[in-house]
Amino acid sequence: MVGIDPDTDFTVRPWVKEGIDIGGLKDDEIILGAEGHIFLGLEEARPGDKVVFYGQEFTIAGVLEPTGIGIDDSGYVTMEAIYGMAQLADANAMLQIDVEPGDISVVMVDVKEGYERAEVATAINRISGVAAVTSRELMSTSVAQKLESLTPGMLLIGAGFWVVTVLMIGALFSMVINERRRELGLLQAMGATRRYVFRMVMLESVELTFLGGVLGLVVGGIVMLTLKGSLSTSLGIAFLWPAAWYVALLVAAYLVLALATGAMGALYPATRASRLEPYQAIRTGE
Amino acid sequence: MIELVKATKTYHSGGDEVRAVDSVDLRVAAGEFVAVVGHSGSGKTTLVSLMGGLTRPTSGTVMVDGRDIWTMSNRELSRLRSDRIGFCFQFSSLISTINCLDNVRLPASFLGDHKGDAGRAMRLLELVGLPEKAGAFPSELSGGQQRRVAIARALVNEPGIILADEPTGDLDEETEEDVMDLFEEINLGGVTIVMVTHSSRLASRAGRTLRMENGAVVEEVTRAPRSEYPLSSDSV
Repeated sequence: MVGIDPDTDFTVRPWVKEGIDIGGLKDDEIILGAEGHIFLGLEEARPGDKVVFYGQEFTIAGVLEPTGIGIDDSGYVTMEAIYGMAQLADANAMLQIDVEPGDISVVMVDVKEGYERAEVATAINRISGVAAVTSRELMSTSVAQKLESLTPGMLLIGAGFWVVTVLMIGALFSMVINERRRELGLLQAMGATRRYVFRMVMLESVELTFLGGVLGLVVGGIVMLTLKGSLSTSLGIAFLWPAAWYVALLVAAYLVLALATGAMGALYPATRASRLEPYQAIRTGE
Repeated sequence: MIELVKATKTYHSGGDEVRAVDSVDLRVAAGEFVAVVGHSGSGKTTLVSLMGGLTRPTSGTVMVDGRDIWTMSNRELSRLRSDRIGFCFQFSSLISTINCLDNVRLPASFLGDHKGDAGRAMRLLELVGLPEKAGAFPSELSGGQQRRVAIARALVNEPGIILADEPTGDLDEETEEDVMDLFEEINLGGVTIVMVTHSSRLASRAGRTLRMENGAVVEEVTRAPRSEYPLSSDSV
């Protein structure tokens, strides 16, 4: 059970599903982690359900996205609710809570871009009775660290796959051009310009990779939706959908990359096809 | 209309130089029906390909309508091939993925005009006796029917010249006669036809026959022009 200041919180907010108004969290409401219901002995938790903690009733305001980290097992309420619970615990709970109004255990500091965490920590440590730790020391296996270590490798693998894809498209279209030499020669004999032949091959390639891109998006989306829980658990990292505009940007960038892949892969075969001499193409394609 | 001056085409095969066409001088007048005969490998197909700008001569000149076609830009040469010349090949040359009507319309699409609209293409299919096959794909047609669709396609841009490379090859005699009748009819309409054939019988239906050997024209036979032949004085 964690008490937060809904107005300034930035640690829980990233995991909040759309539709949950964390800023408007009331003192009798609770936001549960993705697996918080297990600790309450419930099969599932739905917004609007009532749960009781230390004799105090809360209404579930929402459930967070799975993160794969401790957030999943927690419940978040306002600071006022925590203080109220502590007071009621004296009378209602077997286990007492030693929290007085005004007590806080942690102040999370979001360091502004351009400032060093270590410098901010040093400045905070000058305040008597306060000890600052930076996030790296606090969360040695944090999501950020895991992603930081995974990202370059994944980018490298992705780049490798992309290069192989471009080469494979080039090889595929070289074979296609060879198979269709006669057709290309005939088109030129009927009046097709070199530019037309070049454009035709390029368009076929770009159409193919675009369709492949759309198919990849659909299949990838289904796989991610199906396996997101397993991914979070097995990798121990959080899984969270980015904002809709960011997803749209990624989709657009991905499709542009698919188009570029088709264009780059077919560039050499298309050039070769456009330079075929009609008579040779027809004769050798028979 | 078509003139070859010392036209030569050589190939390299296994380190040897092969002269497919060897220094040929030839003039084909507008409205003529010329047959080119000779054994396999004598250079007939290469000669016709030179006339149509499908291959560049190793040396010499190829002129169509008084202009050296190899001084033209690629765009001009493509325009010449689509606008002035219709090709009939010795094999099934239809595009297998589109139907007969679209095959006939295809050369017109390269001109970007309306000559190849569906109506005109249909009329040409009627001319070759296959209007009912407009929606059929080439694989659904017999060899003879495919040749006739290819002839319709060669005519769609109303070319002044038809270059036909064994247009009746592997056809039965009856279909062969049908195709030749069609060529004669087209020729009577003023279209120049140069036809490659192995058959002396078919060649005898042309106004002039050229016999090729080892890339050279070794014999030329001119028959008395039929009165219908619209031989003109604007030959080059």
